Amino acid sequence: MIKKFDKKDEESGSGSNPFQHLEKSAVLQEARIFNETPINPRRCLHILTKIIYLLNQGEHFGTTEATEAFFAMTRLFQSNDQTLRRMCYLTIKEMANISEDVIIVTSSLTKDMTGKEDVYRGPAIRALCRITDTTMLQAIERYMKQAIVDKVPSVSSSALVSSLHMVKMSYDVVKRWVNEAQEAASSDNIMVQYHALGLLYHLRKNDRLAVSKMLNKFTKSGLKSPFAYCMLIRIASRLLEETEGGHDSPLFDFIESCLRNKHEMVVYEAASAIVHMPNCTARELAPAVSVLQLFCSSPKAALRYAAVRTLNKVAMKHPSAVTACNLDLENLITDSNRSIATLAITTLLKTGSESSVDRLMKQISSFVSEISDEFKVVVVQAISALCQKYPRKHSVMMNFLSNMLRDDGGFEYKRAIVDCIISIIEENPDSKETGLAHLCEFIEDCEHTVLATKILHLLGKEGPRTPCPSKYIRFIFNRVVLESEAVRAAAVSALAKFGAQNDDLLPSVLVLMQRCMMDSDDEVRDRATFYMNVLQQKQKALNAAYIFNGLTVSVPGLEKSLHQYTLEPSEKPFDMKTVPLATTPITEQKTEIAPVATSKLPEKLTPSRQDIYQEQLAAIPEFQGLGPLFKSSEPVQLTEAETEYVVRCIKHTFAGHMVFQFDCTNTLNDQLLQKVLVQMEPSEAYEVVQYIPAANLPYSQPGSCYSLVRLPEDDPTAVSCTFSCTMKYLVRDCDPNTGEPDDDGYDDEYVLEDLEVTVADHIQKVLKPNFGAAWDEVGDDFEKEETFALSSVRTLDEAVGNIISFLGMQPCERSDKVPENKNSHVLFLAGVFRGGHDLLVRSRLALADGVTMQVTVRSQEETAVDVILASVG
Amino acid sequence: MGLFDKLAGWLGLKKKEVNVLCLGLDNSGKTTIINQLKPSNAQTQDIVPTIGFSIEKFKTSSLSFTVFDMSGQGRYRNLWEHYYKEGQAIIFVIDSSDKLRMVVAKEELDTLLNHPDIKHRRMPILFFANKMDLREALSSVKVSQLLCLENIKDKPWHICASDAVKGEGLQEGVDWLQDQIRTMRT
Repeated sequence: MIKKFDKKDEESGSGSNPFQHLEKSAVLQEARIFNETPINPRRCLHILTKIIYLLNQGEHFGTTEATEAFFAMTRLFQSNDQTLRRMCYLTIKEMANISEDVIIVTSSLTKDMTGKEDVYRGPAIRALCRITDTTMLQAIERYMKQAIVDKVPSVSSSALVSSLHMVKMSYDVVKRWVNEAQEAASSDNIMVQYHALGLLYHLRKNDRLAVSKMLNKFTKSGLKSPFAYCMLIRIASRLLEETEGGHDSPLFDFIESCLRNKHEMVVYEAASAIVHMPNCTARELAPAVSVLQLFCSSPKAALRYAAVRTLNKVAMKHPSAVTACNLDLENLITDSNRSIATLAITTLLKTGSESSVDRLMKQISSFVSEISDEFKVVVVQAISALCQKYPRKHSVMMNFLSNMLRDDGGFEYKRAIVDCIISIIEENPDSKETGLAHLCEFIEDCEHTVLATKILHLLGKEGPRTPCPSKYIRFIFNRVVLESEAVRAAAVSALAKFGAQNDDLLPSVLVLMQRCMMDSDDEVRDRATFYMNVLQQKQKALNAAYIFNGLTVSVPGLEKSLHQYTLEPSEKPFDMKTVPLATTPITEQKTEIAPVATSKLPEKLTPSRQDIYQEQLAAIPEFQGLGPLFKSSEPVQLTEAETEYVVRCIKHTFAGHMVFQFDCTNTLNDQLLQKVLVQMEPSEAYEVVQYIPAANLPYSQPGSCYSLVRLPEDDPTAVSCTFSCTMKYLVRDCDPNTGEPDDDGYDDEYVLEDLEVTVADHIQKVLKPNFGAAWDEVGDDFEKEETFALSSVRTLDEAVGNIISFLGMQPCERSDKVPENKNSHVLFLAGVFRGGHDLLVRSRLALADGVTMQVTVRSQEETAVDVILASVG
Repeated sequence: MGLFDKLAGWLGLKKKEVNVLCLGLDNSGKTTIINQLKPSNAQTQDIVPTIGFSIEKFKTSSLSFTVFDMSGQGRYRNLWEHYYKEGQAIIFVIDSSDKLRMVVAKEELDTLLNHPDIKHRRMPILFFANKMDLREALSSVKVSQLLCLENIKDKPWHICASDAVKGEGLQEGVDWLQDQIRTMRT
């Protein structure tokens, strides 16, 4: 009867929680009855429960009050009540870190762990290990060793698991218990064996040889415990991964043999291990997949879930391997467990053919509202991948996504959908209008600021170029009226872009801007005022520079320059050109087919690689007069990978100079190199000004030396040059063991590969979100045009790739993607030439026998234009 | 006596329970003494230094003792005071062969007697001048002089020489303690 009542309590939720309104001070007051004699176990038990409850609710206990309660609790060891004693163990474990002098109970616990009462022994061991530190561990070592080999399984398991926890704290002591653990590993009890194996592994995991020996031993002798088998499989697969062992390794054979184990748990673990192995081929996958296929029709829901979840993962990398299971997966679509059904459908979406998409989508939309957010995200990811595979299906997907967008859901889920829609819009111009319409509808009722601003930005970028831009204005202006500051500011920026691009909308936009200038928020007013003034000028160049394309400088760099400027008062206005440019983030060049990024949080603004170099170079006195760093190249290897000395070079470009940074590593342990420098012989009019050697280069510690080169001034178009490089240094032989060098050394040199400076080193990539506007802004003062025939190139894709990598410029407007089945294409490239002049390239490509290319270059300065045409030619 | 015990049992007057603190410097033999007093089937063979404290129980003819056997090591002595309130009597053990540390024992004893939880209570203190079997051991009279026991005026005390390993002299002390506790109650 009482039990029934309890159950009801649980169901009705926290409303009837007897501990709900506990006061810490009241409970501690009550704890005084611990001091009474004789002890009343029932009341004490109740108070201990309250204390543990409070601790677990995150209530903070001060050290003094905790210590007082703890010492009061120690008196309860007088009582022989079993429940009370075990509650004491729990309390000790909970309070081990907040009370002082917890070691007071050491002897009491030692007595319990060696006593006759088996119920006490296991928990006493666990409590004891919580309060023990490295110095005390020696005192109880003897008892721990005995407990590990105890014949009572619970005692042995407790001791093993506690040892495992203590490995982190005092590895050296626990290491001495290896023999006992070994004995426990041959126990008949499955849990003891599992725990013993775990301890053995953790004691040896840093020694690969010992681990493989252990694996060898256990795989031969066989184990009783399925848990231990699972553990072995995990250890084996990790070892395989670390040693990059092939599929002919005995470890792999072991894992494969586990597929025939009689325990389902072991079979699944083995299959999962095989599936997750990197570079697994279809042949090795086949047995694992067929095992998972069997599980798909298991009556146990957990097994079906595990199988379909694993198959889902396989389907990402090897869709063909899973096709064999399609029939079983079809059966799971109607599974009563929604999680299983979802995974089955998303797996099928990955493996299935285009024709089945409609049917599957219909099926999934019937129950999508019943599954949890986490699975909805899985569905969205599957759809996103599908859209890239079958672009023609976008209307079905778009419909489905917009329905999902209307449903309730958390931030992660909504973001996944929005990202998916955006990627469809970018991939597929046909879907742009529907996509934008869905997103507009979404922001009408969107509680997530991040998503709203993101969509507004997208609307500003894409909206003005649609056939009917005016319809978006309403949605955007609604934001100004209804939303929070951040969203209002984003909406103002979006509005400005409409006004700048569409002349007939301009008057209305100006009216709206006027309204925004009376906003209550500073940022919104500032933006509105700024855009208002720019728009009123009605100058294309201004619009392009300040509305469409914004600043391209690196933010930390700008901050530093401005700070510097305020420190040194001068008459001159601040020059934007001295600020280092932002290196285009890698994420912009999303060329490979990536499904919607799972859950990448907005990255923090970290200083880019170039900002770091800037800092490092500025610290070297010789380089101080060079001005801001313009560009740093990717490292170039000047040696083979496995040679005596490994050298790579990073090219730093400044306005009138280049600095070559040579990162050298000495791989000989019997040599110390000193005064290391790289001598450079230029092929053109470049002039080496100075070498800055690395003073010392000990074994395996990388060091850098630098060469400063002046660029030819009289012939600015000579941008490319080849340098032959020789590393020169003083060798001092040394003892490989001590590293002690001989007193005298000898000079030596080492020939490196040639280093090329190309046109790409003089151009920094800059993304112009609106290329057309930027094109007009630069104007045709220094425009030049020429036509070339690229005879060696066979496809447009290849030509585009070659041009981008040769010029080192940023493709704009996604023009780096050549639509299928077209024989002409226009590539837009943007960059900044050394010295800070914008440089734009429009290249029309036509595919005939080879590829014909018409290049039009615009810049604010003539040299840059000449350089490009000269280098292409 | 036997008849009285039975009678007490029938009337529901079980043996009275008493809490006793067992204090003293490290290696003086506290745990060994308590171990000897326990019934022979509950005794342990190996005695190791106590860390913190342990609770032991034994019975005499008329009382049931619960002993808080405290660790005597220097760094744990400040933890004794947590249990002073608990005790109705004190057993203080002295290593009578350790002349060097007799002053340390005296100091600990003085601190104990001056503690607010102890000072104004009339609780019996039993001293064991332990390890009397050793050749260099001092006599119980000498020990009581060195500890200035004659200065204890407000508490009943008693000192007896003992050899805890063989169990000699323990019974005499415990009998005294039992009598004291019974007279205090009546």
